[in-house]
Amino acid sequence: MQWHSPSYLAVICLVTTAPLGQVFAKQYLSVDEVKQVMFSGEVFTKIDIEVPELIKEKMRKESGVRYAYQQKHIWKSSQGSWLLIDEVVGKHEMITYAVGINNKGQIHGVEILEYNESYGEQIREKKWLEQFKGRAATEPLRFNQEIKNITGATLSSKHVTNGVQRLMVLYREYLSRI
Amino acid sequence: MLNQTRKVKNLIQKSICVGVCLLSFNSSAGEGYFGWVYSLDLQPEGKWEFEQRLQLTRGQASGTYDLWQARTEMEYGLSNDFQLAGYLNSYSINASKNYTNSEYCEQENSTCTGGYGVPGSASHGSGYAKTGIDGVSIEGIWRITNPVTSPIGMGLYLEPTIGNLKNALETRLILQSNFLDDRLQLVGNLVYEVEKLKFDEEPIEETIVDVVAGVTYRFMPNLNLGFEYRFHNDFDGYSFNNQTQRAHFIGPNVHYATKDWWVTAAMRTQVGGQCWAPGTAECSDSKVWDSHGRNEYIVKFGMPF
Repeated sequence: MQWHSPSYLAVICLVTTAPLGQVFAKQYLSVDEVKQVMFSGEVFTKIDIEVPELIKEKMRKESGVRYAYQQKHIWKSSQGSWLLIDEVVGKHEMITYAVGINNKGQIHGVEILEYNESYGEQIREKKWLEQFKGRAATEPLRFNQEIKNITGATLSSKHVTNGVQRLMVLYREYLSRI
Repeated sequence: MLNQTRKVKNLIQKSICVGVCLLSFNSSAGEGYFGWVYSLDLQPEGKWEFEQRLQLTRGQASGTYDLWQARTEMEYGLSNDFQLAGYLNSYSINASKNYTNSEYCEQENSTCTGGYGVPGSASHGSGYAKTGIDGVSIEGIWRITNPVTSPIGMGLYLEPTIGNLKNALETRLILQSNFLDDRLQLVGNLVYEVEKLKFDEEPIEETIVDVVAGVTYRFMPNLNLGFEYRFHNDFDGYSFNNQTQRAHFIGPNVHYATKDWWVTAAMRTQVGGQCWAPGTAECSDSKVWDSHGRNEYIVKFGMPF
């Protein structure tokens, strides 16, 4: 390929840079990887269910998350653990996260799978995510109370906290009963 | 030899391209969702952002009036709730026979040249055009409460400007409420500004009190649409005793943002205005002129790093 002029280069840079910012979305963990990270050795089966509207309304009311629940990924292991994957609104794009629930109905772990924001990556830090660990579905999970804010990542930490809350409502009100 | 030189040239060009591309991938983001309304979205502590604004004020009573104003800005988050910024302001004015008011033109049914940036000495010439660096501004925004965590976010804004066209001190009270997972933002600013206009032979002192407000909604990832409104009031001197202008502007805005850069475009049109002495010369057709036009357009580009 011949490089004819700096202006030609500038055009290529401009044209390639903008879309590639989207293409190189930051996916930290795949669904298979998060299963291994959270529940190493357990075998999961995808659960295909239609969450009733009444449950969705409870999830919305208790968590405050208005973005509709997509119910794309609900997995259950032979040992009775659950892996729920969901997305909440980030500053520019969606934040994909996973909640692992052990067979006692407690949060086993929370992981961020995809995060495409300019800043606020502190929500992936172990110290912040560990705040969720061990909390039961019956316990409150409130931002700035049980779960601390991350200054400089306020929007992301608030939305992920509320998202975890809505998945725990799903577990408490529906999944634990089926 | 010629081939070697060409190879070196190509290598340099490719390196520049790769460097520019990498730089833009590694930069981070923060942004202004509106054209003219200030929100409480600030740079986090220790983060920088480059911002370029270009505004066009176009059209007055007749003839030609184009006022281009550019601001090249660097923002820095001193803390998570305090942002400091510096601007370099530049302008370009092209005005010709744009005033029709007989008080200013000193003759019935005639046109003359006036408006912000146009000295009185140019009023009866064929036109006036000037381009240059205006001056500098410093801006500080203190976010007292964050709309992401509080029902009403509140902040204070201070911006002193020193320039060839004017010196000014602008203050704003910024109020913001977010809804629907922070995708819907309602923002209002109460603006109080004192300024000394310097482009004419005699400096003009005036006070501005504006209410600007806007709404923006993120319809899909990366894309916000909204509109904004300005209620403008001008007073003669540094008191509220003598109001000279009042006008209303409204228009849409669009904002696109990724993690690496953002761009906002907005326009607003003057839907009505009136003037009182001693500012009556700046009015006609139920609209105010001076630094205002029939339409205003703005494009802002930001690239945090």
